[in-house]
Amino acid sequence: MKIGPFELEVLRRADTGGSGRTLLLIHGINPISPKAPFLDLLARHGEIVAPSHPGFGKSPGPDDCDTMYDLVHVYLGVLDALPAERVTAIGFSFGGWIAAEVAVCGHRKLDRLVLVDPVGVKLGGREERDIAHLFNTSPAELERRAWHDPANRPPGCYGVGWHAAIGEAMSDEEMVTLARNWDSLCLYAWRPHLYNPQLKHWLHRIAVPTLVVWGDSDRIVTPEYGRRYAALIPGSEFAPIAAAGHHPELERPQVFVERVARFIEAGKA
Amino acid sequence: MELWNHCENPYPFVPNEVLEQAESVRASLPNKYCDPKIAARLYDEVFDEYRLCDDIGIHIVTNEHHSGINNLWAASPVITGVVARLTRNVRILSLGTLITVRPDPVRVAEEYATIDVLSKGRLEIGFVKSGATEMVSGDANPMRIREREWEAIDLIEKALTTHDGPFSWEGKFFIHPHVNIWPRPYQQPRPDFWAATSDLPTCAELGRRGIVNTLLFGGYDRTRQAFDSYKKARAEAGLPPPGEDRFSYMAFAYVGDTDEEGLRIGQKIAWFLTVSIKSAPQFSKFQPGAIDPAMAPAAWRSGASRRPRPTNLDAEVLVGQGQMFAGNPDTVARQIKEFRRKVGGICHIIMMTRQGLVTHDEAEKSFKRAAKYVLPQLQDLPPIDADETAWEARRAAAAK
Repeated sequence: MKIGPFELEVLRRADTGGSGRTLLLIHGINPISPKAPFLDLLARHGEIVAPSHPGFGKSPGPDDCDTMYDLVHVYLGVLDALPAERVTAIGFSFGGWIAAEVAVCGHRKLDRLVLVDPVGVKLGGREERDIAHLFNTSPAELERRAWHDPANRPPGCYGVGWHAAIGEAMSDEEMVTLARNWDSLCLYAWRPHLYNPQLKHWLHRIAVPTLVVWGDSDRIVTPEYGRRYAALIPGSEFAPIAAAGHHPELERPQVFVERVARFIEAGKA
Repeated sequence: MELWNHCENPYPFVPNEVLEQAESVRASLPNKYCDPKIAARLYDEVFDEYRLCDDIGIHIVTNEHHSGINNLWAASPVITGVVARLTRNVRILSLGTLITVRPDPVRVAEEYATIDVLSKGRLEIGFVKSGATEMVSGDANPMRIREREWEAIDLIEKALTTHDGPFSWEGKFFIHPHVNIWPRPYQQPRPDFWAATSDLPTCAELGRRGIVNTLLFGGYDRTRQAFDSYKKARAEAGLPPPGEDRFSYMAFAYVGDTDEEGLRIGQKIAWFLTVSIKSAPQFSKFQPGAIDPAMAPAAWRSGASRRPRPTNLDAEVLVGQGQMFAGNPDTVARQIKEFRRKVGGICHIIMMTRQGLVTHDEAEKSFKRAAKYVLPQLQDLPPIDADETAWEARRAAAAK
C-alpha cells in the first residue's frame, strides 16, 4: 500500500464470516505477527488489514518520518485508500495511541474504535510514571510487567519484553526485524515517552463508539490508567480482561475476540 | 609531538558488593554512594595535577560523563572554565561537552567562547557523539545522533564565527532564530576543533573538514584505518595532505622509574575497563541505535555489549595491543614512537594516567617523568616515511 511517499507492508486476512466489515489493525511495538492465533478468530468478523508503520517490519523508514504527526497522517491516508466505506480501527498499545489520535482528527470512514491497552496520554502527576519506560527498563522487568504469564506468549509473537525471548528458536531474520522495529519505535516515542501532552484535552472529540480493552495484569500501563483514559472518551466502554497483561490479544485470544466481536456486532445497523 | 593529560576524575570508592549487585554502575547507581567530602578531595587533587602539568608542559584534556562512578566531571565547560584560570601556559582541550545531549548548541558555543577569552586563546574544542547511559542520564533520543552531532557542530561553528549580528537557524534538530553570542572567541577565526571517533565515515568527514581526529584506545590497526580514512577523504576532495597535528590518540599511560613500576601501577588503571563500564543491557546492546539492525543477531546471541571490549586486561597485553604506554621513560618513549610509525604519523598523545585506582601521588610522579624524560625524546622526530637511521645520523652531524 502506498500512502504519499510511504510504502507500507500490509498483512491481510480475508473476511471468513462474510460480514463485509473491514478491520484496520494498528500495531504496537512490533507489527501484527501472521502467526498470532487471534487473527483467524477475528477474521470471522471482518476482513483484516494490518499495515506496518514506516520503519517497522518490511515497511521502509523514510529519513524524515519520525513523529506521531507523520504516523497520524499515514493512517488517515490508509483510511482514504481502503475501498470500504466503513472501517473499524483496532489499535494496540503504541498503535492504540495512533488510533486515538486518528479518531480525534476524525475520518468519514471511521465507524468504530477499539483501543487495546493504549498509551498516548499523560494522566498522573509530574512525579508519577504512567507508562513504564520501555528503553530504560531492564528486559526482565519489562517482561514481568507486560505479561500475566510470559508462558502464554504464542510462538513467534513478540510483545513488550521481547528481548527475554531471544534464544535458539529465534531466527536471524526475526532478530534483524525486531532491532529495526525497536529503532523505529525510539524515533517516534523516546520523548515524551509514549505520550502526547496535549492529547488528553482532545479525546472528547472522538465521535465514534469506542471500546477500551485492558489486560487486568498489565503493569506497563495499569488498568487504573485505562479506566481514566476511557473516561475521557465520551460514551466509551471499558472492558477488563482477566489473566492477561499488556497484550490480551496474545494472552487470551479467544476471550479477547469474543469481547471485541460483541462490540463490533452491536454496530450492525 | 605533544603530551596531554586526560583524567576523568573517577570515583573508585563504592563498596565492591554494591557494584557487583548493581545492574549498571552508570545511569542508575544511587548517588548516596558518592560522598561529597571525598569528591571535594578528588577535585582538589586533580586540579593540583593540572597546575603541575601547566608548569611542566603537559597539555590538559577535560570531558564529562554523567551519573556514574567513572567520572565526576559532570559539565566539561564548567571544569574547563576552572582550568582556564588555574593555568597560564598549556593548551586546554574540552573533549567534550555532550552535544547530542545538550538541547541548545548556541549555549555551548557561548560557553566555549567565554572559556577561550578567559584562557586568552588556549582553548581547543572537542566533540563526542556520546551514547549508551548518557542518552538515559540526559534523556536524549539515541537515534540519529550522528546527524544531530553534525548539525550541532555546524551551528556551533557558525555561532563562533559570525560577528555581524544575529543569524537564524531552523535545522532538523535545532531551532534558534536569533543567534548572537557574546563574547566572541579570543582565537580567530575560532578555536581548533577536535572529535573523538573511530567510525570510518565520520573520520572521512573530519578529514574533509580538517578537524583533529582522536582515537580512544583503538590499538594499532583500528587507529591506522581511521587515520587512513581521514587522509583518503582529503585526497579525494582535492585537499592538501593533513599534518600530523591533525591526529591524536588516547591511551592508558604510566611512566615509572622502572619497567616493573610502570606496568605495576599501569595495571591499576585497568579498573576503568573491568569495573567502571559495567552497564545494563538496556543501556548497551539493546539501546536503540546502538548497533546496525543487521548486526543484531551476532551481538544479541553472543551477549556482546555495544562495543567490543578487550577481554585480556593484563597491562602487558594492553601495551602489546597499543592501548597502554607503560614502563620506564625510555620504554614509554619507544612505545610512543613505535605507535607513531605504525599508525602513519601522529602528533598528540593523550595519557589517561589518573584513572582507576592510581593515586594522586602516583599520577604526579608519572607526569613529572613524562615531561622530563619522555617528552624530549618525542621532539623533532623524522618524517614518518623517512629512513630513521639515516635521519638520526644527519641530525647528529648537523648538531656538531
